[in-house]
Amino acid sequence: MPRLVRWIWILLASHLALGMIAFAHFLVTGQYVVLGWYFWALGSLFFLVMTATECCLAIICRSWFDSDEPMRLAWGMIACAALARLSGVLLRAISDGHLPWGNWHQLSQPFGGLFASLSQLGMVVGGPLSMAFLALGLARVLGVQRKFHLVGSLTRGDKALLFLVLAFSVSQLSNDLPLLWRHPSLGTMLLWLSDPLLSLLLVEAILVRRSVIRMGQGLVSKCWGMFVLAIVITSAGDAAIWASSHGLLSESMTALSWYIWFVAAAAFASAPAYQFAAISLTREDSLHLQARR
Amino acid sequence: MSLLGRWHPGFWRREPTATLGRDVDFEAVSASGLDDLQTRLNHWSHLWTQESESTNRSEAQQLVAERLARWMERCFGQHVQNSLRGEGRQISLATSTPIFTAFLGRRATRELSRRVLQDI
Repeated sequence: MPRLVRWIWILLASHLALGMIAFAHFLVTGQYVVLGWYFWALGSLFFLVMTATECCLAIICRSWFDSDEPMRLAWGMIACAALARLSGVLLRAISDGHLPWGNWHQLSQPFGGLFASLSQLGMVVGGPLSMAFLALGLARVLGVQRKFHLVGSLTRGDKALLFLVLAFSVSQLSNDLPLLWRHPSLGTMLLWLSDPLLSLLLVEAILVRRSVIRMGQGLVSKCWGMFVLAIVITSAGDAAIWASSHGLLSESMTALSWYIWFVAAAAFASAPAYQFAAISLTREDSLHLQARR
Repeated sequence: MSLLGRWHPGFWRREPTATLGRDVDFEAVSASGLDDLQTRLNHWSHLWTQESESTNRSEAQQLVAERLARWMERCFGQHVQNSLRGEGRQISLATSTPIFTAFLGRRATRELSRRVLQDI
């Protein structure tokens, strides 16, 4: 495992270990004080570190491609997605100290104006906008993979998953669209795009996963595998929010489900770290050669 | 000369003013340099392509193929060679450069090729 990726996952493990202490305190006492402080302070800091790392690495990866290379655009879009996610976290942290994960279902009530608050703007930038950039980037990657015949055909399991994802997306839209007559704010309507965009990302992730299986366990394939993992975890987190808002999860399970966003952030940061490792591998070797001469 | 002047028939019938001198000795050049250049180009093109019909591969070709296979496994994975070897072709610089360039970039691929061809 490359050093940078190892550090990301060590940081995640340490962070989750602290989080489990806070969760244990919540289970024993039934109070949110320690858990709230953990998510407010350490959680926000962790998100900032991870999104900033992802953004920097994606920009570096983009810089290693020339302007006429197709992957430059893909990495540019991925860098934009990371930057949007970082901006979203910062906007939410600065505006009112709201947690970066979340309970945006409460905010899907009709509002006046373009955006209800700076926090909602942060959610739009870090949510649908970031997803749209990532979807464009992955579409470009799929195009390149198809050129090399790396995108395999879908299995029955893939097709079943696709059907489930599309059905969920359509059901969410059918819930949201009747609210249009209440004249919701632009921000609220943009947040409704989260589920369809996440579905699109899942479709792309399934196709990318097929190509990763065809390639094996190299650094580049692990990079795209990490994006797949991050998208799947984000979908799981989204499903947990939906289940929680419909009263399907207990209080403790809801609190536990919040931790999933840290894993998603670590997976998003690991993806460009793998690409960085693959490219720097060739440079390291050439540097060693020069030093030997 | 103006642009319209180029349409004049005399322009096209005119002999070129600069002609090759008849006393240029091409034989002297070919004797020493061209054979050597041809040998070198053949050597590099064999290393670059490694055609499947050549049964007796040289040690250098073998080394390039091994190094490329190792790099492909490190960068992409153990199965990618099977995907690229669709028509039963050997892995060579010619067949592997496009995928390396696509996913690692032109500059990194140049470094990688340098690494593969080191000491050959």
